[in-house]
Amino acid sequence: MLAASIFAIVLLAGTSPAASDGFVAIAGGPFQSTVRYDGDDGKRSVAAFAIASHAVTVREFDGFVRTHPQWARDRVPSLLADSGYLANWPSADADAPVTHVSWFAADAYCKSFDARLPDWAEWEYVAAADATRTDARSDVAWRGRTFQDGTPRAMDARSGANANFHGVSGMHGATWEWVGDYATLMGDADKRGAENGDRLQFCGATGLSFANRDDYATLKRVALLSAMEPRSTLGNLGFRCARSTP
Amino acid sequence: MKVLLRSVVVIAVSLVASMSATAAPPALPGDSVYQVEASVVDQEGRAYAWQALRGRPQVVSMFYAHCHLMCPLIIASGKSLQNSLDPHQRDGLGFVSISLDPARDTPAALLDVAQVHRLDDHWRLLRPRDADVRTLAAALGIRYRAQPDGTFNHTSVLILLDRDGRIVARSEVTDLTPDPRFTATVREYLTGASASGSD
Repeated sequence: MLAASIFAIVLLAGTSPAASDGFVAIAGGPFQSTVRYDGDDGKRSVAAFAIASHAVTVREFDGFVRTHPQWARDRVPSLLADSGYLANWPSADADAPVTHVSWFAADAYCKSFDARLPDWAEWEYVAAADATRTDARSDVAWRGRTFQDGTPRAMDARSGANANFHGVSGMHGATWEWVGDYATLMGDADKRGAENGDRLQFCGATGLSFANRDDYATLKRVALLSAMEPRSTLGNLGFRCARSTP
Repeated sequence: MKVLLRSVVVIAVSLVASMSATAAPPALPGDSVYQVEASVVDQEGRAYAWQALRGRPQVVSMFYAHCHLMCPLIIASGKSLQNSLDPHQRDGLGFVSISLDPARDTPAALLDVAQVHRLDDHWRLLRPRDADVRTLAAALGIRYRAQPDGTFNHTSVLILLDRDGRIVARSEVTDLTPDPRFTATVREYLTGASASGSD
């Protein structure tokens, strides 16, 4: 109870960084994605866009819930979030990335700021950078460190971790992040609809594969997202927002 | 400030909405697909909230007008289902096809589809707001992906919703006619729904 009150006071007193700020412009360009769709070559053209420099924090999400009470833990409908939704509140660290949020909640949060979730290709493009290079993926040592993504040992999990080349932080942090088109990250073997007897397959699609089997960190991330339903929540799955460049 | 203004507007709009209703509608079930907020425009250019479809059973699908293979199948399959119903059942069932391609599927393009397929006034072809396509697809369990050539890969299904937007049944479209089991389910559901009273 005491912890809850302190938490509430901290939330009220905290200077709430407006989520509409804090976006970083990304020029985009040609990009070799690790993910291949339908046997393509994984070559993407990422259009210019903007992405939030930080994952959405507990404090920021709390502000959203206050102005959109239908997203409160005790009011959210079952279609939009599972029972784990915001299960860690109110003991969560207000400055930490928000977790235990469904795709629907992340989608609604970003829309409320006239933003959207980043697409996978956009996310992957920004995440390919280290502090000095736009694409550090050929660096075996750097790539090895990305194996810790989604764990407390992740390279961006420690406080004071550098922003990457684009000025974006936490892409390789202790939490995974939703992407807007996460539902496309699924292969033929998907059986999510099996309990209904539905195969839920794309027409004409042969599923996805990986351009670079050494890119284990990406494979792990995609495998995790592809196992999610849009109402699913996880203790180490959060999100950040993006915006198209007009 | 902007956020505050927005929430004031939202509150004002919902107040007006709730006042204009003569009686408060019963709470929407938690698993209703109308729990997601989305704005749509139909083939006649009428704009409304996705939730406005609540009130009668609907058979819902997602498609796009420039699709030459699967999408005509989806519509043909829905029409075939509709034609297999008796007149009373037909009156009680709406058909909703939501575009995956709002950039190209203008109301005029959707009206064209409706005319080419001779769809009656039980059909609504909807163009969602860009940002709402994914949200609607997620609520309906429909997956899609834009291809570089402007086509879409997508799940081809007909979904039966009850009057409150709960999913009763879904059926993959593979042919010009729907799966007979799905047709049977729709008939059974409509018979049961009319037998259980006219609330």
